[in-house]
Amino acid sequence: MCYIEAVATHLNLTHDIKEVVPDATLRRRMSRIVKMATAAAFECTGGVQGIAALDAIVTATGLGCLTDSERFLEQIHRTGGQMLNPTPFIQSTFNTVGAQIALLAKNRCYNMTYVHRSRSFESALTDAMLQLKEGDARRVLAGAFDENTPTQHHIMERMGFWRKAEDGEGAVFTLLTAEATANSMARVSRVEFLSSPLSEQQCRERYATCSDGQVWRSLDKTVYPCRSALRFAEAVEEVRKGVPEIVVYNEYFGKEPTVIVLQCL
Amino acid sequence: MKIAVSGIGIVSCLGIGMEANRAAISRQESGIVPKSRFLSAPSAFPVGEVPFCNADLALRAGLGERCLYSRTALLGILAVQEALADSGEGKDLRTGLVSGTSVGGMDRTEVFYADYLSDPAHGRLRDVAMHDCAASTLAIARHCGIEGYTTTISTACSSAANAILAAARLIRCGIADRVVAGGTDVLSLFTLGGFGSLMILDKKPCRPFDADRAGLNLGEGAGYIVLQREDTLQKEPYAYFAGGENANDAYHQTASSATGEGCYKAMHDTLRKAGVAASQIDYVNAHGTGTLNNDLSESRALCRLFGDKVPPFSSTKGFTGHTLAAAGGIEAVFSVEALRRGVIYPNLNFFRPMEETGLVPVTESREAPLRYVLSNSLGFGGNCTALLFSKN
Repeated sequence: MCYIEAVATHLNLTHDIKEVVPDATLRRRMSRIVKMATAAAFECTGGVQGIAALDAIVTATGLGCLTDSERFLEQIHRTGGQMLNPTPFIQSTFNTVGAQIALLAKNRCYNMTYVHRSRSFESALTDAMLQLKEGDARRVLAGAFDENTPTQHHIMERMGFWRKAEDGEGAVFTLLTAEATANSMARVSRVEFLSSPLSEQQCRERYATCSDGQVWRSLDKTVYPCRSALRFAEAVEEVRKGVPEIVVYNEYFGKEPTVIVLQCL
Repeated sequence: MKIAVSGIGIVSCLGIGMEANRAAISRQESGIVPKSRFLSAPSAFPVGEVPFCNADLALRAGLGERCLYSRTALLGILAVQEALADSGEGKDLRTGLVSGTSVGGMDRTEVFYADYLSDPAHGRLRDVAMHDCAASTLAIARHCGIEGYTTTISTACSSAANAILAAARLIRCGIADRVVAGGTDVLSLFTLGGFGSLMILDKKPCRPFDADRAGLNLGEGAGYIVLQREDTLQKEPYAYFAGGENANDAYHQTASSATGEGCYKAMHDTLRKAGVAASQIDYVNAHGTGTLNNDLSESRALCRLFGDKVPPFSSTKGFTGHTLAAAGGIEAVFSVEALRRGVIYPNLNFFRPMEETGLVPVTESREAPLRYVLSNSLGFGGNCTALLFSKN
């Protein structure tokens, strides 16, 4: 159990990236997804002071910083591994975003990155909740990001992934607290990894605690590893508006089902 | 709640399994070789390469030699099999897996990508099917019959140490009774090119903590320990997990701060939370990669924490090379072995202390009754983790 104080996604950014990362050299080195995710974290915490007040930063990504990975592979192929520019290698590391967030406020707190395909966000959420439960942290930033690149899209197209689904990308961050505050929007009561898919009826029977809540079982066509984080953000907004409970069910191409249960305060 | 270490498993350039690794270390034999045998293109740098091809690894893991698993998954499976068998059956226990990796299936992806770049219709899809980091973890869980909470961590060179931290938390919070935790990583052109572009690869065998050190040697391997709630043990454990903390250097994306802020904080917070005094630490298995920056930064953090009483310490990377995401797992295995057998492993290739600190690591294998052992893992993104193991 933990409380949600804020949620930000790549769709509702209000700060210019120049405000988020004032250092022009640093900004130039950052890929689109690193900028997008860092900006979402900045938005969620309210800026540098909000980041400085965090006790833990937990990020998640299914495929990481793909553009930089591809750029570095291309360089190796083109040059035979000689005279390589290290920037894309540095930026391709999976914990780049978590590190950039820490750097913005020189925050030396716990900094973790989960890379467990479509369960990355749920892994980060679990880590955050357990830290709050154990009292190791009181304010935790948890978030997830994935980027869509032409190469990744094309390779997955050759593998047959887009016959029924559509590709996507995004960045979502949420600020979690152990106790309810005046700003709390909702609470997370459960995060579960399921061993097999569940129907809407099964989700309701197993996870719903009230009759007027909702079960979000139907999935749209958009599929990418951290897609569940965006559905989480959408559900938080509905709970904030008054829905008493939402059981958010996710799966990834019919596999790796998870459930997040959100409740009103 | 006490958390015990009930099993260990390791694959490194020294060999497959703890026995092979122990034998090589006791002979003071490094596993680092001048040239890779298995990389898809030549490299000018020495490497700590596991001396078996993928087909051999697959056969040893009980998979067909035509198995299409990535090398990352194969190394991981071999180490986890050993660790689980060592720990005991535990069929009534909820067993989880937390695995760290930084390259995932990159060694196969780069073979695919070379063909793909020549023509986007080319490249065998099976070579890229295990690209993501979760693929190796899921293959390990499937092949080793692990059905409990399973996840993957990637925080560069501290990944496996962080996996161990996460595993301990899962046990403390009642999500699992027993968790296999560590990491697996393989040599790839991607990481050789990457560390080469940062000019931190040594053309000679690496010399951790030496004044004339000139960089690291990349290695590959897998190291896992089994953490288990004490009341579920089926045998005498090797050691106990006494604590561990992660901190961020918050200084630079790749370089460590000159004063080792993150490393100091990770070690300091670990001791404080565990209620263990600095004077009780009997051995530190240092990160000690052999780069100018890391070893100075880590040395300064050690001096700051321990004052003029720095305990016996060594880096084992002269034996294994720097195995990146696996390093924290391999070194956790060594730390547990040190406690179990009362032995401190030597730091190879050390000749002269660096002027800035004058610190001298242990250079000859030494027997000593050990109570507390600290293990450091420091990674890109300022990611610093210290783990504390105890005899009792």
